[in-house]
Amino acid sequence: VTERTLRRATAAVALLGIVLSGYLLYVRESGSQLACPTGGCETVQGSSYSAVLGVPVALLGLLGYAAIFALALARGELARLAQATLALAALAFAAYLLYVQLEILHAICAWCVGNDVLVAALAGLSVASLWQTSEEGGPSA
Amino acid sequence: MAVSRWTRRRRLAVALAAAAVAATALIGAAQLRADEQAARPVAAPQGPRLLAGIPQQGAFLGRADAPVTLVEYADLQCPYCAEWARQTLPVLVSAYVRPGKLRIEFRGLAFIGPDSVKGLRTAVAAGRKGRLWDIVDGLYLVQGTENSGWVSDALLQQIAGAARLDYERLVAEREQPWVARELERSSALAHAAHVEGTPTFELGRTGGSMSSVQVRSLDPAGITPAIESLLGS
Repeated sequence: VTERTLRRATAAVALLGIVLSGYLLYVRESGSQLACPTGGCETVQGSSYSAVLGVPVALLGLLGYAAIFALALARGELARLAQATLALAALAFAAYLLYVQLEILHAICAWCVGNDVLVAALAGLSVASLWQTSEEGGPSA
Repeated sequence: MAVSRWTRRRRLAVALAAAAVAATALIGAAQLRADEQAARPVAAPQGPRLLAGIPQQGAFLGRADAPVTLVEYADLQCPYCAEWARQTLPVLVSAYVRPGKLRIEFRGLAFIGPDSVKGLRTAVAAGRKGRLWDIVDGLYLVQGTENSGWVSDALLQQIAGAARLDYERLVAEREQPWVARELERSSALAHAAHVEGTPTFELGRTGGSMSSVQVRSLDPAGITPAIESLLGS
């Protein structure tokens, strides 16, 4: 797989993430009903864990996806390093939130699980991208 | 150009280390509020008592002949429900419930976890003494992090004491089968009403049919227009 393909795939997944977190943020801010196949979304979205220092987690997700999307369009070693750092940090935070859902809230939000899948994919793609980048930071494909 | 394995590993190590620092900071910030809430002291004695002198019967707050009834589906651990209880309930009580225009029924749900169940059982048991709302409001005012054990006996005892209830009797009462049946009844009503989140409200003329209310905000303006509209009709 070429680095360009990896970056394109990363941008596509990040775009999906922007749509998903944008929807969750819209629902939260507008007070609309969340479509939820698992039944636990309202519990999770309405919990004290749905914001960090007053900033909604959905907004953090939106900003994170947007940053990864922008980095995926950029070339160079520094961009790959920043992208992998962001994606790995997001993966760790997503794992923490999954633990909160299972062990503290006893409720699973299908949207959050969908988000976890996207974040895991981004982490994998970003690490692969970092692994392939040429030493000088130039394009390898 | 080929990249040495050593360089690749070094890059990955840098990314992992930076990610670990960022994730630790983020998780630490997320946990901060949770820890703060868990360490919150038990209920301080209230100032002017919100519910003093208002008739309560079981889950109902307010006069039975009030022209309008509001039904609230809520979990005692739901932060939005607590926000509503702090922001809007006092306004509704002074503007509508106390003057006899509105009565409110609390249909408690306990889907968030063990602290919800313990708090709700205690509140329902207190309902037999006409004090359900004292327990509910007392818990909302000091709500802690979900399932952190914040609904402690010390907290319940203090709230019960402020409501002039014998806590030992309340503990015995909350284990009675009728309390479990009440919880099941509320849950079944919520299911029938397609309640998907809390708080959910139904409003209608007392004795008539109830309609679901879409609350756009948790402040008083989110519900008072619907109440005014029914009172004026």
